[in-house]
Amino acid sequence: MTGAVFIEIFKQTWKQMLAWGIGLAALAMLVVLMVPLFDMQDMKSLLESFPPFILAMIGVGRDLEVFATNEGFVAIGFFGKSALIFAVYPVVMGMRITAEEEDNGIMDVLLSLPVSRAQVLVEKFLAYCVSIFGVVALIYLGVGIGDSLGNVGLDVGRLTEVTFYLIPLMIFVMAATMLVAAVARRRMVALGVITAFVVASFSLQTIGLAAEGTVAEPLGTVSFFSYYNAGDILREGFIWPHIAGYVALSLVMLAVSLYRYERRDVGV
Amino acid sequence: MAASSVIDIKGLSKIYGSGSKATVALDKLTLQVQPGEIFGYLGPNGAGKTTTIRVLLDLIRPSNGSASIFGLDARQQSVEIHQRIGFLPGELSLWQGRSGAQVIHYIASVRGDIKSVVKQAEELAARLKLDISKKVRDLSSGNKRKLGLVIAMMHSPDLLILDEPTNGLDPLVQQTFHELMNEFRDKGKTVFLSSHVLSEVQAICNRVGILRDGDLKAVQSVEALTDVKFRWVHVQFRDGVPAEVAQGLRNLPAVSEFNADGSHARMRLQGDFDPLLRTIAAGYVEQLHVEEPTLEDIFLAYYSGEGAGA
Repeated sequence: MTGAVFIEIFKQTWKQMLAWGIGLAALAMLVVLMVPLFDMQDMKSLLESFPPFILAMIGVGRDLEVFATNEGFVAIGFFGKSALIFAVYPVVMGMRITAEEEDNGIMDVLLSLPVSRAQVLVEKFLAYCVSIFGVVALIYLGVGIGDSLGNVGLDVGRLTEVTFYLIPLMIFVMAATMLVAAVARRRMVALGVITAFVVASFSLQTIGLAAEGTVAEPLGTVSFFSYYNAGDILREGFIWPHIAGYVALSLVMLAVSLYRYERRDVGV
Repeated sequence: MAASSVIDIKGLSKIYGSGSKATVALDKLTLQVQPGEIFGYLGPNGAGKTTTIRVLLDLIRPSNGSASIFGLDARQQSVEIHQRIGFLPGELSLWQGRSGAQVIHYIASVRGDIKSVVKQAEELAARLKLDISKKVRDLSSGNKRKLGLVIAMMHSPDLLILDEPTNGLDPLVQQTFHELMNEFRDKGKTVFLSSHVLSEVQAICNRVGILRDGDLKAVQSVEALTDVKFRWVHVQFRDGVPAEVAQGLRNLPAVSEFNADGSHARMRLQGDFDPLLRTIAAGYVEQLHVEEPTLEDIFLAYYSGEGAGA
């Protein structure tokens, strides 16, 4: 029956979604509650004395003006710096689309049922997309609760776009994980490859920012993290070409995963 | 009558790897399974039994040849086929954090018609004395196997494909399993089961295929397979095996594999009993026991290249 895999995956995942969401929401809340502890103008003066590469390393980069606002502190200090953490959840979920169940033999049972491989992949992918949305919504809730509890006076509305911009980024990471698993077959191989990809991308983004104005600067554009820049989003709102890029690449990776998974042996 | 076969495999080969690392798992396998029969697929580990099953289920793709079930192509029409089959894998893995009832409900929901499938599953679970309220991770290996059987049978499939179905089941449950299989056959349905437990195959199967190194050595009815021309004969003498009797038995053309241990002699007899009886009459015979060859003997005969009836 169409939708049965989607519903079951959601049933199996909602507790983890809550755990991840609450954990990240608590972290967001903590960062929001820290805002009143800093005088943003003092911080700006302090940071202005830092060389650009140090600013890049701590995630501020060229967004000093933005960072020195309450919303900028939260956007860059939490959403910008935690991008690597946000990539962990979609990797975990992406591994579950094929690799985990293939490795432990459950996929044999599932694919012996009247359901096509494509249907299994697509329904699982969509279920995990919903769980990503749930995690991000909880993070947004954490920001709002932190603001209320600490009387911080944040313009939470300005952080809406920074928060929900995480969804295409996280779906992109999940699609990349699914693709690697569809090609590599073995769970540990897939996990190794995707971890290397995510860490390398994060490093390239940092190098690109730190090496601004040098020949190494373009390296940052290779990183998928570069298209989630909390400071830029706070200034400009949704950057639709970047979002379209994430969505298009995710769809391409989904299509390639389906093509590959349809044509190979399962569980060998 | 390949056209009416439930399973029709033609020239099926499966090669893993390539070049010098290539391993032939199946070699030009041709096999038909007819409606309403329980077909035993015998072979030692690594013979290719599970590979055959995985090709039938479209989990792996053949290197050459084709397989069809109910006249439908196993690869192109796998979803339609899977609607009508039940499958129990050799090494069953299920969702550890879900209860038996939740797993049943999930699989029933994929199959559709949840209500009647779940009802049938509950009846089967009761019959197999399986508590489906327990989480999968808390089930013993035998109970997991029972859950696997319930999942395979709960939608009343037309064909059951079972890979080593009684592994880990206690003898009482094995008996229930045999009853279930016989009832299943009586409804005109078909079972394809792989096993290396020959007594099980002997007890419930109509026909048997013997596989070795990916090569199908023989397909016969169980009766034909067991209709061999040799017996094992055990003779217990009161005063030890007399030397002249031992020598006489060794000289009989119909006797082979003669072994004497104290007062007990064991031999393989291929032919009439009369020469043997006349020879042992020279001693005082306390007991005479004739043992039919087991399927294990026949199995070994096939693997040693003698074939049945050797």
